Amino acid sequence: MRFISSRLIPVAALATCLATVAGCSSSGSGTAAGAAQSPGGQPKGTITWYANQFGPTSTDVRKTLITAFEKADQGITVNLEQAPSDTDTFRSSLETQIAGGSSSFDVYNGDVTWPAQFGKAGLAQPLNSYLSSSFWSQFSPGLVSSLTYQGKVMAVPIFTDNAFLFYRKDLLAKAHLPVPTTWQQLQSEAATLQKDHLVKYGFAAQFDSYEGLTCDWTEFAADAGASSVNPAGTASTIDSPQAVQALDFMRGLITSGVAPSATTTFQEQQSESLFTSGQVAFLRNWTYAYADSNGSGSKVAGDVGITNLPTFAGQSGPGYSVTGGWNLYLNPHSKNTPAAVAFMKWMGGTQAQTIIAEQGGEIPTVASVLHDPAVQASNPAFPIAAKNKLNARPSFVAAYSKVSEAIYTNVNAALTGSVSTQSALSAASQQIGSALSNTGL
Amino acid sequence: MAANTLERRAARRGWVFASPALLVVGAVMIFPVIFSVVMSLSNVSVTGNGIGLSGITGANYSVLVHAPRFWHAVEFTVVYTACTVTVETVLGTMIALVLERLQAGRGWMMALMLLPWTLITVVSAELWGYIYNGVYGVLDAITQAFGVPGVNVLGTPVSAAVAMGVADIWKTTPFVAIMVLAGLVMLPDDVTEAARVDGAGAWTIFWRIRLPLLRPALAVAVMFRILQAFGLFDLPYVLTQGGPGTSTESLALLGYRVLFNDLDFGPGAAIAASTALIVLVVCLAFLKVFRAQVGEQKG
Repeated sequence: MRFISSRLIPVAALATCLATVAGCSSSGSGTAAGAAQSPGGQPKGTITWYANQFGPTSTDVRKTLITAFEKADQGITVNLEQAPSDTDTFRSSLETQIAGGSSSFDVYNGDVTWPAQFGKAGLAQPLNSYLSSSFWSQFSPGLVSSLTYQGKVMAVPIFTDNAFLFYRKDLLAKAHLPVPTTWQQLQSEAATLQKDHLVKYGFAAQFDSYEGLTCDWTEFAADAGASSVNPAGTASTIDSPQAVQALDFMRGLITSGVAPSATTTFQEQQSESLFTSGQVAFLRNWTYAYADSNGSGSKVAGDVGITNLPTFAGQSGPGYSVTGGWNLYLNPHSKNTPAAVAFMKWMGGTQAQTIIAEQGGEIPTVASVLHDPAVQASNPAFPIAAKNKLNARPSFVAAYSKVSEAIYTNVNAALTGSVSTQSALSAASQQIGSALSNTGL
Repeated sequence: MAANTLERRAARRGWVFASPALLVVGAVMIFPVIFSVVMSLSNVSVTGNGIGLSGITGANYSVLVHAPRFWHAVEFTVVYTACTVTVETVLGTMIALVLERLQAGRGWMMALMLLPWTLITVVSAELWGYIYNGVYGVLDAITQAFGVPGVNVLGTPVSAAVAMGVADIWKTTPFVAIMVLAGLVMLPDDVTEAARVDGAGAWTIFWRIRLPLLRPALAVAVMFRILQAFGLFDLPYVLTQGGPGTSTESLALLGYRVLFNDLDFGPGAAIAASTALIVLVVCLAFLKVFRAQVGEQKG
């Protein structure tokens, strides 16, 4: 009971505060936030951007973007409100505030997996009526459709993220081994490096019981030709021979000693610190790991290579990478929608996207910016990202968070060896089925 | 008669003075509790304009009753509470007995002991996470020194639950110790003195006289601990994410996920209400047994 009451307190408190604030602002009207549009039709006023930090930790790209926007668009001031770095915490904070009617922020950052869930619950304002089709057509193929729920575009993509294979160039050179292109090759090369005492562990990834495991699983499964949900989003497809093959291989990485058994408790940070401390030869991680592992805090700086993920032997390479990344959503309670939309439109434009790519180190969403030679040269990950085979998590279903829970809890249980791979997938399949039919927890 | 009127007037004035505080308590505690019970019995729809409730239904509870994941969370939370509270009570009482005898430095010892209790659980859970880490954790280094490599404590259901219990016991035993110590200090010396004069040994005095007299203090400590342990959330949230699989998923963590990850407010509220009901039953049962024992002692 403790948690629900404490969780509901903010909602109740917020409602009371909002009533008070609304009363205050109406008596003291004429504030910047209240002014929606000047007589000329140009949006102006102050808006608040509720955003978690992205890009490098040394400089805050968000502030760079705001400064550039305020300079380019005379009349709109943007306040930055710091959001929780943990995705789930951020989501619950958004849900309680928006469902409580809060207009304390106008635009917010959100994960790529949220459009269907937020669209169904009305937590984000659909954008079709505010932004024209020529705006949407500038983004990389497939991006906008992944942000569409029941024909309505729910968000502006501000950067995408891909997964890569990071490897130790020095170790492969010492052992005269090529960069692996299949998972089987990676496993045997890793075992060789371990046997020769060149490195303690062979491979690290994110196998903890959390959303990141759904990402890793989706990639291995896609490489083996398996999926979790059918294209119509009506039934589970996870209980298949190909899925068993993928999960058996993942479990085999642990039982063979190539991946440490603690991989089943690893999220991004733990797997990356194992790599940057020089204890593992291969790492599956996101774009930022390249900058991190070549940075000053890394013991392997200068020895790190980056390439596309491998696939299973017999499949055409490279392997699949899931798409991650973040978007801008519009708060349905915004008091200054025109200014908020102007900011979102600018963030999906060339200038902002170039800043995000060159200074933020994130993959830009606008196709022309990604293919700009200057941008391509600014980060070794970008040319490789251009060759990635992409695969989305089944986030087009509104019950995605339940589907994902069914995947990561059961796959994690199988990876620790507490249940067999086959029974884990049967359980996952049954739970995905009840999630899609909206029965059961 | 006059005194009675005065008392009544004083009482009325007392209510007047207390009413602002009571209003706040009502707004931030009682309202959400009632609201969540109502929510658990309704069809709930989440919209951008708030949470819509309609009709009266048992569907949310029916979902729970048929979900193995819910029953697993109940079982885990009950067993976890029983084990940790028992160990904490025994350890806490032992520590309190030692502290009571300490003449010099008792204040320092108490301050030192309260350090784990004052740490925010999320922080201490992160610290325990470093200890338990299967690659660079302290525990791993110690076991390796004894020739047992690669112990992944958080990687199997039983060891993960035990590891979490240890972190919990480390943090909250001092709380029990302080509560019991307060009880010990209040005990009348003349009773033990009289027993000693009558020739009772140290064991007899402890088991037959001091422990029964300590019961009220112990009861309060245990009740607090049961209430808190049942709301177990931060430890599994940080240490295990409820894993491996869902083996260490507590009722509070399950409720949080259902409410805020899945936006299933109906079943989520039902989990919260059920949790409250279970705690209430456990606490009432505990008090009943406890009172019966006190009654026996008096009789």
